[in-house]
Amino acid sequence: MPETYDAIVIGSGMTGGWAAKELTEKGLKTLVLEAGRPITPEEDYVEHVPVWEMRFRGMRNRKQIREDQPVQGTCYACDEWSSKFFVSDKEHPYVTPANKPFSWIRGRQVGGRSIMWGRQCYRWSDLDFEANLRDGIAIDWPIRYRDIEPWYDYVEDFIGISGQAEGLPQLPDGKFLPPMQMNCAELAVKDAVEKYFGEERRLTIGRAAVLTKPHNGRAACHYCGPCERGCITRSYFSSVNATLPAAQKTGRMTLRPYSVVHSLIFDSKTRRVTGVQVIDAQTRQTVEYRARIIFLCASSLESARLLLNSATSELPNGLANSSGEVGHNLMDHIKYGGARGTLHGLANRTTRGRRPNIVYMPRFRNVKQKHPTFLRGYGFQGEAEQGDWSRGASQRGFGASFKQSISMPGPWEFAFEGYGECLPRHTNFVELHKEKVDAWGISVLHIDCSWGENELAMQKDMSIAGAEMLAAAGARDIQPFTDTAEDPPGFAIHEMGTARMGRDPKTSVLNSHNQAHDIDNLFITDGSAMTSSSCVNPSLTYMALTARACDYAVQAMKRGDL
Amino acid sequence: MERREALRLLATAAALPLVSGELNALLRTARAKTQSNDATLRTLNPQQNNLVVRIAEIILPETDTPGATTARVNQFIDLILTEWYDPNERNRFLKGLADVDTRARTRFGKEFMALVPDQQTQVVKELDDEMVAESAPETGPDHPADGFFSAMKQLTLTGYFTSEPGATQQLHFEIIPGHYDGCVPSDAKK
Repeated sequence: MPETYDAIVIGSGMTGGWAAKELTEKGLKTLVLEAGRPITPEEDYVEHVPVWEMRFRGMRNRKQIREDQPVQGTCYACDEWSSKFFVSDKEHPYVTPANKPFSWIRGRQVGGRSIMWGRQCYRWSDLDFEANLRDGIAIDWPIRYRDIEPWYDYVEDFIGISGQAEGLPQLPDGKFLPPMQMNCAELAVKDAVEKYFGEERRLTIGRAAVLTKPHNGRAACHYCGPCERGCITRSYFSSVNATLPAAQKTGRMTLRPYSVVHSLIFDSKTRRVTGVQVIDAQTRQTVEYRARIIFLCASSLESARLLLNSATSELPNGLANSSGEVGHNLMDHIKYGGARGTLHGLANRTTRGRRPNIVYMPRFRNVKQKHPTFLRGYGFQGEAEQGDWSRGASQRGFGASFKQSISMPGPWEFAFEGYGECLPRHTNFVELHKEKVDAWGISVLHIDCSWGENELAMQKDMSIAGAEMLAAAGARDIQPFTDTAEDPPGFAIHEMGTARMGRDPKTSVLNSHNQAHDIDNLFITDGSAMTSSSCVNPSLTYMALTARACDYAVQAMKRGDL
Repeated sequence: MERREALRLLATAAALPLVSGELNALLRTARAKTQSNDATLRTLNPQQNNLVVRIAEIILPETDTPGATTARVNQFIDLILTEWYDPNERNRFLKGLADVDTRARTRFGKEFMALVPDQQTQVVKELDDEMVAESAPETGPDHPADGFFSAMKQLTLTGYFTSEPGATQQLHFEIIPGHYDGCVPSDAKK
């Protein structure tokens, strides 16, 4: 008889951690399955290892990256310290059409990508939840801001998000800890841009899941800088730093690393999932676990892959897929459109400490006025920084004065980089590859996804709007940029949409509570649930939806409905 | 102070003013497994090594802070040549190094190491001027610079500023600043 639990959570990352916390705190005996290795903060976190203790001094092990992580290595966070938090591309292959590259950046370990994430947290608004309905695109969201608002409050209370309230309808304020400081060059850009373009282009400090004061037993940030290498003081939010310890504290969580879920087990009589088939990543043995409910939190693409890989003779298209939408409507955010330039003045000013945060300009396109060339909009992430010593490599000079000069902070440079909303399209999809399998014998994904005209028009506008704002700020050497070669879909690491929510079981996979239309005891709460993509970073919304779905599921269990 | 105690202290806001060299050291000790302490050169022969040491010191000399020699930039360059560069990149670098002697002989009739410091500086200036004239080098984590002197300069800077003396004494790098200030006078960085 397989081990039986009240609940199984598949995945221990951003959303799996929340499901684990919520379900165990509500009294459920919960098994959390993680495909990757365990993480021990005291040993695995390397944020305080100085560069001189690294073999390649921050230049990474070039040969290892080229051989084993050619895809992962394109991510800024996959550096010499943190590359161990990213998968081996050899062990985790996937396939794309030759002319449609897709960057699938993955972390397989306890904590998943919540260890290396960018920590930006923004609420969606009804501008987002009503967008598909308004534009007549894809299907309508089955929820509105009022449905998720209390759950944003709830997760923010636990996470601790620093930020500045701005009172903007398109980017609702949250329950913020004190904001981090904008630096003097960012404040100068803010003043100039708001003076020139008015209030609609508001530059604000990033809303980040990094503590600016002690919160729920976690310490305030000490500004060492590289959060993606871990955080021994647990000052930024990750499942390892926050939700998994909370679940552990209940005594009701069993966390099983090295557990590669092969498939969900479907009982055709009860129309429910009864458990999961797991391949032990170390022994290669197959193990089965059972539970009353299953939360699928494996990431958008992995969750779709798992549903497709769970096909039976009765359900040849995969589980929860009577709509045929599983794996479809894949979205990401389009970036790499923007501008950079050099700022005048402030030559005798610099910063102290390394702020793990950026500045943010909320969406201003298609908020009040309709834009002539594209739907939806984008937000800008930005930062003013001064060049470091590395600028000296391409400069003339050597000797004592050269050494001194390049040791000082260089000129201030400011970069705006857009993150644009991607429209949901059925033709952007994943399916199981017919022959190719990964290191555990599971069919790999064939990913067929490309930007559409709307995204490309938006990317172009990012470069123009970015450049005109730098011009307004009096910047020199302004370089607008758009580059799709540098930015294949997936590269924003905001992939979502492959098991979307909706009201109609014929056109969507999940209902308004992330419950599969076809299978009552299956909930999917990672990025796959998204019906549209908004332009803001999605993790906060995934977390709020997860907490909300857990509440719904446990109430349904108590009522005897599940 | 025990490492465990250090971590416990650091996890409280009150400990931030206590974040000191001692605490930093404790936080690091358990993890410093990756460092290369191997002083044996694997690619550079003694003559090539002498040239690298001398040119690196000319680029980043000892001042009131350590220079490239003290920072053992040559060991870093040897590591990169051995483990990071492709064979063609390594050969190009070593050929460029040999050309330095050729230049020295053409100009001053002696090999580089036999020149007086002022003559050595003139040879390096010539290389530097040519590098600038040949347009900006392609630098970055995955691309070594094309020309010899571009590569030499890039590796010297990286080897120096990422060394412990370079980072701590020249750049005043603090592992745990403890706070963030978005606007301070530049000269207060020290």
